[in-house]
Amino acid sequence: MRVVLAIAWVELRRFLADRSNLFFVLILPLAMVAVIGWQFGSDRSGSPVSVHGPGGAATEALVAGWEDAELAVTVRTTPELVQEDVSRGSAEVGVLLDAEAETAWRDGIPMELEIITGSSSQAPAVTQVVRAQAEAVATEATQVGLLETFGDATEARAALEDASALVPPAQLLVQQPEDPVAVAFEGAEQFDNGAVAQLLLFVFLSTLNAAPALIKARRDGVVRRTMAAPVTTAQAMAGLTTGRVVIALVQGAYIMLASSLLFGVRWGSLGVAVAVLLVFGLIAAGAAMVIGVLVDSEGAASGLAVGGGLVLGAVGGSMVPLEFYSDTLRQVAQLTPHAWANDAMAQIQRQGAGIADVLPQLGVLAAMAVGVLVLGSLLLRRSLARAM
Amino acid sequence: MTTPVLQVEGLRRSFGPATVVDGVSLRIDPGETVGLLGPNGAGKTTTISMIAGLLRPDDGSVVIQGVDMGAEPLAAKRHLGLVPQDLAIYPELSARSNLSFFGRLQGMRGADLRRRVAEVLEVVGLTDRATGASKTFSGGMKRRLNIAIGLLHEPRLLILDEPTVGVDPQSRNAILESVEALSGEGMAVLYTTHYMEEAERLCDRIGIIDGGQIIAEGTRDELVELTGGADTVTLVGEGPLDEVEAAVAGIPAVREVRRVAGEGRLVMVVQGAPQAISAIVATATGAGMTLRDVETSRPDLESVFLHLTGKALRD
Ligand SMILES: Nc1ncnc2c1ncn2[C@@H]1O[C@H](COP(=O)(O)OP(=O)(O)O)[C@@H](O)[C@H]1O
Ligand SMILES: [Mg+2]
Repeated sequence: MRVVLAIAWVELRRFLADRSNLFFVLILPLAMVAVIGWQFGSDRSGSPVSVHGPGGAATEALVAGWEDAELAVTVRTTPELVQEDVSRGSAEVGVLLDAEAETAWRDGIPMELEIITGSSSQAPAVTQVVRAQAEAVATEATQVGLLETFGDATEARAALEDASALVPPAQLLVQQPEDPVAVAFEGAEQFDNGAVAQLLLFVFLSTLNAAPALIKARRDGVVRRTMAAPVTTAQAMAGLTTGRVVIALVQGAYIMLASSLLFGVRWGSLGVAVAVLLVFGLIAAGAAMVIGVLVDSEGAASGLAVGGGLVLGAVGGSMVPLEFYSDTLRQVAQLTPHAWANDAMAQIQRQGAGIADVLPQLGVLAAMAVGVLVLGSLLLRRSLARAM
Repeated sequence: MTTPVLQVEGLRRSFGPATVVDGVSLRIDPGETVGLLGPNGAGKTTTISMIAGLLRPDDGSVVIQGVDMGAEPLAAKRHLGLVPQDLAIYPELSARSNLSFFGRLQGMRGADLRRRVAEVLEVVGLTDRATGASKTFSGGMKRRLNIAIGLLHEPRLLILDEPTVGVDPQSRNAILESVEALSGEGMAVLYTTHYMEEAERLCDRIGIIDGGQIIAEGTRDELVELTGGADTVTLVGEGPLDEVEAAVAGIPAVREVRRVAGEGRLVMVVQGAPQAISAIVATATGAGMTLRDVETSRPDLESVFLHLTGKALRD
């Protein structure tokens, strides 16, 4: 154990000796969380939204509400035109109201809107704004309606303002038709998705950078020297991996802390999130060992680490959320650790999942970790015979 | 009979079709320094890798201080200090951190570790450079740190693989002196080199290795006797060296001739140089050689190697 810790400690010191590592580990990920958060974020002013409705009170109130939210609303005469706007991309989001919705509005009962989300990267965020604003408008209308039964509308409105602190949170009046994307994002705030995706992307990337570091150690002859001491391959592997996983955990904890302080990202249960991160980091460290032993050139290994990290991240939902994937793509994504970790983190973050809820994901991740670590140990032993 | 510190029997190792080490046997007793002298590619490092448990032999056995490396590698490695041919230090870390780390791998710790680190820093003269990153060191200082790491845990057997390659003369001398001091303290040393002066100066016994085989073994004097007391004559100059080589080879006293590639040098093993030298010079100039220098020397390991293999140690 002492040997393992000694090796891990040296790995940490080597890592810290290269200051440029700190930029990639600490600064870049947060910058990305910020950029993606803002892109995904609340300021959607000017985004085009196409609406068709019977033109009654409900339509008018909603259109006014969306315009208040600074969306560029176009009212269309037929549902088909709205569909066309969205599919051509001239609107990010389309909204369809029917006569039933108008009736429901008048009666103060929940009504249904059909929201069509476009395919651009902005569209889901615009959908969120459309929904939130519709809910707000509808809630206010219902409340005013209720109060009106006590007197005239102006008084009611004033009373509502006074009582606003006491009024229960908006009940869900707007119902979106079956839309898996919207369901999946339910509970996600502006920076949340981006933060999870960036966390996993960057932890994996920077951990994979252990590969060139290992090649350097092999070239420097220190790996040979380590193995000439009374040290087993398993101990060496455990030491190298531990050093890297500690770095991954520190980086992860830092991104979680900083993003929650700076951008208000919520992470759900911290213990469960860290458990996912730990197993995920083990996979990255194991993969780095495999690359670091198979490849003899530091440059090639760096390229492979960055390229591999980005591709795995992209396929595994760390660039475009998995919810937007087709079924086939989703199946491919399941081959990456990122997909399982993204999925687990999303559940922890948005649905308050506990350790039992993410056991399937953790199991798959653990199996991947064992696979790469065993492979890495075998290759490390074999590599000692290769002069470098 | 004393237990040998190192007992190697019939080591063999191939890489693909090439047999790189071909039946090497060695024995080193406590306090003995044994040299492996051979040119680049002779199989020295491969032999050492197998002795140090880094490379599995195809055949043969390694026993260190009575412990079989194949059967109990961890126990055998405890008795071993390795100074690899290529520097094996962390350039990012200081001399002290390097030493502490490798000491921990040997199971040392606490005050004991700190005391030994200070001692070996003193031995290799790096005490005042203990804290800076070792990548700022000169080549010689790095080599000294490399050796210090091998000494740290006071192994019974110290293996040095060409520890002076690429080192300035001053550092080289310091290294040789510290090796001499160690064997004086009873440590067994296996020292590989392709410099015959180092082997002559340091080693109680020398194995001459070529093509993966130990082709002769003994004390310096025993080895030199193999040449039959022949001297070495070296001609330095320009001219049609191929023709000169053929011409001098015809002189009866000249037993071996060898051209050193790339230099205007002919090295020959000569029976009775003092009598033959004038004939050699006359023949060489007669064949068109412009002489710049003539060296004669009493037999040394260089001439032994030439005698045994027909090749120069360094070319
Ligand atoms: N891992 C390896 N794979 C293939 N050939 C090797 C390997 N290691 C050494 N060799 C070859 O074995 C021979 C002996 O090498 P080495 O033991 O390093 O010699 P020395 O240390 O005496 O210079 C050389 O020809 C070298 O090219
Ligand atoms: Mg060598």
